[in-house]
Amino acid sequence: MRNQLINFGLLMIVLFTSACGLGNTSDPVTFMVFGEPAELKAYQDLVDAFQKQNTDIAIELIHIPSQGDYRKRLAADLVGGEPADVVLINYRRFSGLALKNAFEPLGPYLEKSSELKYNDFYALSMRAFSINEQVVCIPQNSSSLVTYYNKDLFDAADLPYPIAGWAWDDFISTAKALTLDTDQDGRIDQYGAGVEPILIRVAPFIWQNGGKVSSERALTLADPLELEAVQWFVDWQVKHHIVPDAVEEKAESSESRFINGRTAIYFNSRRFVPTFREITTFDWDVAPLPVGRSEFTILHSDAYCLTSASQNKESAWTFIEFANSATGQKIVAQSGRTVPSLIQVAESESFLDPNAKPEHSSVFIDVIPFTLRLPQQANWADIEEICDEELQRAFYGNATVMEAMQSAVSRALPLFTENE
Amino acid sequence: MLMPYLLGAVVLVGLPALLSLILAFTRYDGMSAPVWVGWFNFRIVLANPVDLLFPISLYNTLYFIILAVPMRVLSALALAMWLNRRGRGVGLYRTAVYLPTIIPDVAYALIWMWIFNPLYGPLNLILTALGLPTPGWLADAEFAKLVFVVMAAFQIGEGFVVLLAGLQNIPPEYYAAAAVDGGSTWQQFRYITLPLLAPWLLLLTLRDIILSSQNIFTANFIMTNGDPYYSTLFLPLLIYEEAFDRMHFGPGSAMTVLLGIVTAALIGFILSIVGNWGETHVD
Repeated sequence: MRNQLINFGLLMIVLFTSACGLGNTSDPVTFMVFGEPAELKAYQDLVDAFQKQNTDIAIELIHIPSQGDYRKRLAADLVGGEPADVVLINYRRFSGLALKNAFEPLGPYLEKSSELKYNDFYALSMRAFSINEQVVCIPQNSSSLVTYYNKDLFDAADLPYPIAGWAWDDFISTAKALTLDTDQDGRIDQYGAGVEPILIRVAPFIWQNGGKVSSERALTLADPLELEAVQWFVDWQVKHHIVPDAVEEKAESSESRFINGRTAIYFNSRRFVPTFREITTFDWDVAPLPVGRSEFTILHSDAYCLTSASQNKESAWTFIEFANSATGQKIVAQSGRTVPSLIQVAESESFLDPNAKPEHSSVFIDVIPFTLRLPQQANWADIEEICDEELQRAFYGNATVMEAMQSAVSRALPLFTENE
Repeated sequence: MLMPYLLGAVVLVGLPALLSLILAFTRYDGMSAPVWVGWFNFRIVLANPVDLLFPISLYNTLYFIILAVPMRVLSALALAMWLNRRGRGVGLYRTAVYLPTIIPDVAYALIWMWIFNPLYGPLNLILTALGLPTPGWLADAEFAKLVFVVMAAFQIGEGFVVLLAGLQNIPPEYYAAAAVDGGSTWQQFRYITLPLLAPWLLLLTLRDIILSSQNIFTANFIMTNGDPYYSTLFLPLLIYEEAFDRMHFGPGSAMTVLLGIVTAALIGFILSIVGNWGETHVD
C-alpha cells in the first residue's frame, strides 16, 4: 500500500512538471493554419523559405484541415492559455477574439517595420483587421467571391463563357442550358451551377440589388430589396433546379461535382485554386459574379495574428513580417491559394501569370473596387450561423424565404442587443 | 488498495464536475475571469423566447434514448439467448455481434455515412432494386434521427457479453425442472430467465441511458453537425458548440447540469418501475 502510494505520487509529480513545461526553453514559433492539403503545401513552402533565411528561428507548423475545427481548437488553446504564436484567422471571426484581447496589436510593429508599410496593402483588407483604426492583424490575402466555370462543358453546349457584366438573367439561362439529364433516367447528371447556401454566398447579390445585410441594430434580411435578392438566389434550387437539392448535395457536394466535371459553374473564393489546379480532366477559368442592379462581390480575407499569450513575440513578428513581405506573399501566391494583400505582389507576374490557372486571375484584382465586407461585430460568427441555417431551410424548400428570413432576423436580434 | 483509483476519480471526474457546476452560475468566456450571474444561464437556456435550441436538442436526445435504449437491450438479450448454445459457427456469430463495438467511433460514423448515402449508398441501391421508396436519410429531417438509432442498435457487444454471462450463470436444472412440470418455452423465459437476468438487464438499461445521452457526440459531429435544420442537434453537440465555438462556458455548463438532471430523472423513473423486480418475497 505504501509503495503504491509512493509510486502514484511520483507519477503525479512527473505529469505535473511536464504539463508545466519545465523542459526546453528555446521553443519554436508555432504557426497554426487551416486548409486543404494543397493549401498546407503553400504554407510549408513559406515556412521552409523563412527558415532558410532565419536559421536561428524554428517554426512549427500546425495544420487543422477544417475551418470549423480550427476555430474550436483556437478557442480551446486560448482558454488554456497556450495558443500558437501565430494564427491564421478570417476577418468574420476576428472581431470577437480581438475584442477579448486575444491578439497583440501589430500596428506598432508595422510602424517600426522597414519591410512593410500600411499603404502597401489593400485598404479594405487592412480595415477588416483593425479595431478603432488600430491594425491588430495583417491580412495575407484580399480574395473575393467569383465564378469558376468548366470551359469544356460550355464548349460542349456551344455557350459563351461568362464575362464581366453578365447579368442575373444571363446566369439563369446559361445554367439552365447546362443542367442536363444526359442518360435520360430522370435524374440530373450535370448541374448548371453549384453553391453553398450560406450568407457569404448570397450577400453579394443582396448588395447588388440595393439591399444590405444588417443595420447596427438588426439583420435587414426581411426587408423588400433583401427578400427579392434572397428569393432570386433560393429560386436557383426551388424554381429553376439548376443546383442540387438537399438529397443530391448530401450524396455529393457541389465542390466535388465541379472537381469531377459534373457541374458547370461553381461559386467560391480563391482558396480552392490549389485544389482545382490538380484537375486534369477539363479546362476551367474564373469570371466575375453575375451583375444585378449594381456590381458587388464580398471580401474573403485571412490574416496572420500574433497571439497575446505568445512567449515568442519578437520571433513571431519576424515570421509575420517575412510572410507578408513581397517574398513571402509571392511564395503563397504561386501556390494559387491567395490573392495577395500586398498591392505590388497582386499586380505582379507571381499572381497574374496567365500560364498558371486560372488564366484570368486578373478578375480577382478587377473586382476589388466593388468588394464589400460583412460587419465587424464581436458575435458576428453566431449571427452568421443563424442566417446560414435559415437560408438553407428556404433553399431546400422547407420554408418560404419570408418565413426563413423573418426567423433569422428575430433569432439574431438578441445577439445585436448583446453588443449594445 | 483503492486509494489511487479514488484519487483519480476525485481529481479527474469529481473535481471537473464540481467546477462545471460552479461555471454554470457564471458568465465565463475562457479569456477573462468568471463573473457570478446566479440563475441567469439556466433562465436563458430554458426560457429563451427566440432561440429554442435547448428544447429542440433535449427533445432530440430523449427521442434517441427512448428508441435506442430498449432496442439495444432487447437486441442484446435476443442475441445472447440465441447464441447461448454450442454448435458450429457460434463463436464466429458471437464475434460478429461484438465486432461493431470495437470499431473506433469516427470510422463507424464514416461507414454509416456511406451506407446511408441517399444516392450512392448500398441501402438505397437495394431499396431501389426492390422497387421500394428511398428516403433521403441524413438529408431528410423526418429520417435523420432514425439513422442514429439504427447505428446505435448495432453496437451492442458489451451488453451481449454481459447477458451471455448472465444466461450461463442460470443453473440448467431450473429449466429441466420447468420442462418436467410442463412449462412452455415462453413460461420458462417469463418465470426463470427474465427474473434471474433482471439485475443484469437493469444494469444495462441504466448504463445505456447514461451512454446514449453522451456518446452520440462523435457520430453527430461527423455525420450531420445538427442538420438538417437542427433535427439531429443532440445535447452533447449543442453543449460543445455553445462552450467551444461560441465560448459561452456558463450556458454550456448549465446545459451540462440540466443533461445530468434529465439523465438522473430517467434513471429514477426506471428504478421506480422495476426497482423491486426479480426480488422474491418469503412469507
